[in-house]
Amino acid sequence: MGGLASYRLSDFILFSETAYYRQFELYNQAIWPLHLLATLFSLLIGYALWKKPAWGGRVVSGLLVVSWCWVAWAFLYQRFNQIHVVADMYALGFVLQAGCLAWYGVIKNRLALVAASRPGIVVGAGVLFIALLIYPFIALITGRGWLQFEMFALAPDPTVLATLAILLVYKAPKILFVIPVIWAIVSGMTLLVM
Amino acid sequence: MSNQHNRSRRRFLQAVACAVGGGCSGLIGSGFARAGAATLISKPIPSSNERIPVIGLGSSRTFNVGNDPRGLDNVAEVMRHFFSAGGTMIDSSPMYGSSQPAIGYGLEKLGKTKTVFSADKVWTWDHDAGPAQMEQSRQYWQVDAFDLMQVHNLVSWEQHLKTLYRMKQQGRIRYVGITTSHGRSHEELEHIMETESLDFVQFSYNILDREVEARLLPLAAKRGIAVIVNRPFQRGELIDALKHKPLPDWAKTIDCKGWPQFLLKFVASHPAVTCAIPATSQAAHVQENMAAAFSPLPDQAMRVRMIDYVEKIL
Repeated sequence: MGGLASYRLSDFILFSETAYYRQFELYNQAIWPLHLLATLFSLLIGYALWKKPAWGGRVVSGLLVVSWCWVAWAFLYQRFNQIHVVADMYALGFVLQAGCLAWYGVIKNRLALVAASRPGIVVGAGVLFIALLIYPFIALITGRGWLQFEMFALAPDPTVLATLAILLVYKAPKILFVIPVIWAIVSGMTLLVM
Repeated sequence: MSNQHNRSRRRFLQAVACAVGGGCSGLIGSGFARAGAATLISKPIPSSNERIPVIGLGSSRTFNVGNDPRGLDNVAEVMRHFFSAGGTMIDSSPMYGSSQPAIGYGLEKLGKTKTVFSADKVWTWDHDAGPAQMEQSRQYWQVDAFDLMQVHNLVSWEQHLKTLYRMKQQGRIRYVGITTSHGRSHEELEHIMETESLDFVQFSYNILDREVEARLLPLAAKRGIAVIVNRPFQRGELIDALKHKPLPDWAKTIDCKGWPQFLLKFVASHPAVTCAIPATSQAAHVQENMAAAFSPLPDQAMRVRMIDYVEKIL
């Protein structure tokens, strides 16, 4: 009787690619010059991972908490929600992840130790490089125009990607991977279906 | 109420004028449906005999632009071309994100809030929330009342239909309908069509997905239910698949200048179909789609030929 089970993912992707990427363009115009602050976040994270200071885990976690909360509120709830009927649920998920990062990373300081395995560090560093330095240029590379760029701490995908990378570099509790992995799947499928 | 009465009267007069003009029967005879060179083909809604053009305008995906000023102006431009070509029915749903406010923006900008044939849907599992949702939709559209209100995808249909019958009785809507898409829940829909007093039913139908020809379309004809067809292009996939294939020479005999017209004429020519509602975000495509309603529709023999050709090249 028209239950949720009868819906497919594509039934909920009721916006066009043009409308989706225009949201980033309008968003970027609206929040400028917060991009400078986001750049500072990226530099701080890079420094903390490179130099491994004692305060590194807590500060990186704090920056991630702020980033996830900001993306939840400013992009997912305020903007994406205009064209996507379940974006408010996404925002809730992002807030939940921010809560987990605050608890395990800032309060419990569980992101203090860098991963022992070399593959973890290499893969994490590679993904972080993509998230922080390559992702903002994808819009330009794909011909969408530079105004539609997506940046860590401001847009969901690079924020999630960077978070996964950071979690790989640190010996992070596995629970912190759950929401970012779910998002990576949902977002990937959305981009595919769109 | 009086606004609705005026609208009904205006439409009745338009229908009479159209009939006197003699060119808009849209009926399938042996050969092609007769239609004047520049006369829009319309078909009657069985429950009222009010005629509506065989091509309407869908809004899923294409009108969901948020509060993007450029996107909203583009929606209004698409609507302007639609109305200019004689189109009347626009269909939407609360499920389509910001499509409803975008339609309202376009109607207000074009001064068409009184003349559009407004078709919307109620889409909530909480049937008590139905009336509030419909009122919200009405405010988005900026219309006095909806012409057609449909239960979206059979969601809580028993309760919602009761509400819609009551609203119709009170003159707050003119027609009651129910919808599905993607070929879902056809058995249940068949049961509803057999047992409820529907004015409209909406489902997916196109030259490749013809399951509804077996039971639902004949049932609609038998029960006197108008049929709105969604996804006549399979959400654009049919156009993508066909755009590099040659249109057959014989398509010229029904004035097809492109695949969209070919596909729309196929759908609209089924005797039980009242109108198709392709969605687009491009004004040029609206003109192309509407052109399908200004020239002869194929007869049964031609329809079979169309199916054979498309199945052969895909």
